[in-house]
Amino acid sequence: MTQAHSTEAHWLTAVEASKAFAAKTISPVELMTALLKRIEVLDPKLNAFIRLDADAAMAAARTAEAEIRAGRIRGPLHGVPVGIKDIIDVAGLPTTGHSKILLDNIAASDAVVVRKLRQAGAIMIGKLSTHEFAIGGPSFDLPFPPARNPWNPDHHPGGSSSGSGAGVCGGLFPVALGTDTGGSVRNPASACGIVGLKPTYGLVSRRGVFPLSFTLDHVGPLTRTVADNAIMLDAIAGHDPEDPGSVPTQSRHFGRLLDRGVRGMRIGFIRHFHEVDMPAHPEVTAHLEDVARVLEAEGAEIHTVTLPSLNEFSGINRVILCSEAWSIHAPWLRSRPGDYGQLARRRLLPGAFMMAGDYVGAQRRRLELIAAVEDALRDYDVLLCASSMDPASRLDDAETTARTYPRQARTPFNVTGHPALAMMAGLASTGLPVSVQFVGRYFDDATVLRVAAAYERAAGWVKRRPPIG
Amino acid sequence: MDKQLVAALVRAAGLEKALAEYPDDVMAAAEQSLNNAGAVNVPTNPAAEPWPPMRAGVGL
Repeated sequence: MTQAHSTEAHWLTAVEASKAFAAKTISPVELMTALLKRIEVLDPKLNAFIRLDADAAMAAARTAEAEIRAGRIRGPLHGVPVGIKDIIDVAGLPTTGHSKILLDNIAASDAVVVRKLRQAGAIMIGKLSTHEFAIGGPSFDLPFPPARNPWNPDHHPGGSSSGSGAGVCGGLFPVALGTDTGGSVRNPASACGIVGLKPTYGLVSRRGVFPLSFTLDHVGPLTRTVADNAIMLDAIAGHDPEDPGSVPTQSRHFGRLLDRGVRGMRIGFIRHFHEVDMPAHPEVTAHLEDVARVLEAEGAEIHTVTLPSLNEFSGINRVILCSEAWSIHAPWLRSRPGDYGQLARRRLLPGAFMMAGDYVGAQRRRLELIAAVEDALRDYDVLLCASSMDPASRLDDAETTARTYPRQARTPFNVTGHPALAMMAGLASTGLPVSVQFVGRYFDDATVLRVAAAYERAAGWVKRRPPIG
Repeated sequence: MDKQLVAALVRAAGLEKALAEYPDDVMAAAEQSLNNAGAVNVPTNPAAEPWPPMRAGVGL
């Protein structure tokens, strides 16, 4: 692996790019040119893109450059390229969901999050690989190949926001949007060693995003740094009266606490998730203990906290997800079952056999699990726990992928809706990233980012780059 | 798993085509759904309500 070379255009973070634009040391057109060249070389190895929108992106870069030169700077994302997971609508481009089912589905308008990014001056660079409909992957029986991990292209980059993780990690674009129903922003962040945030449920509009499970779906940013994650959240957060899950909130300026450190903060460490409920790979366990030691050295108090078992959170997530997804996919599963890849078909069909009572029962128990997490967050500012229990599997090893993919502690916070962030916590002996997750109170995403920023500064993993050129 | 039961459920769900073309996938799905349902400890308190609270204009 190599250390960071922030002078190389493709490794500029959004914050660095914005400063460089203002200082005129690089222009939006020069950055876009450098990224398009890198994409041409590396994307055949990484498959991050389903559709690169190079001409439109370059035209937008020229517009941004003219605006910035004229002093009309819209903010820190002005002129910054953003990759968009291909279940999120970008006007005029297909939203395929990485599926044969929707190959000709041209979006009539931008999703709300894309519209907000454009208002912030960001540039949509293209549509990114995903697991089919954000649930079926990694698969080789789909119209597009699966994305690959820049740390080792033989390995899975995580999913379902696979292209978002691979592209950000590989320096194809600095920031991306993903979606997270059972951990699909945080999984690629974990596998690729970057930063992925599932914001509080209701903070970010889902309108214009192809749904998987209405009460579990979230949209969130994937970035290489915590600061970039905060500015992305600043751009996309906000009440949308046409999204039934959206909540009016005053939460803003999510990066305002990034420099405050963790001195005096109380952090609850959910050890039983990875020690008892779903025993983690020993290297993951060791790195999680290191995270706790680092934060303690920075002045935080670390206490062990107990929640209901991880297996119950996961079971409830599956019942709700399968039931809600079936209500979306039933017409196509009845008429076009062969147009799904096998993994998506197998993961969506169980909803056909769920009983109404199973679904309502899961939603009733869900409220009790929410209360348990709320209780813990009355005592602690933030919770710390595992994200993935194992480093990423090989893409050609379907058996190991099937075994390790569900071994994770992300679904609890889709069930409860609390903000949760996954980021790099080290490298395993295989050279693949391992990760940690921080969880906060509702609409206190800023404090989650604060703890993540303190860890990022103290641990230094952010300086590592994948050995991919 | 009882194939006759699955066949009846498949008919009720309108999945005859899927069963004909992908019988293994349909059987695996039926089995998985039974396992999923067993993973939930449904509240014994009859007054325990589902999420989200049914209060107009309020999310979480």
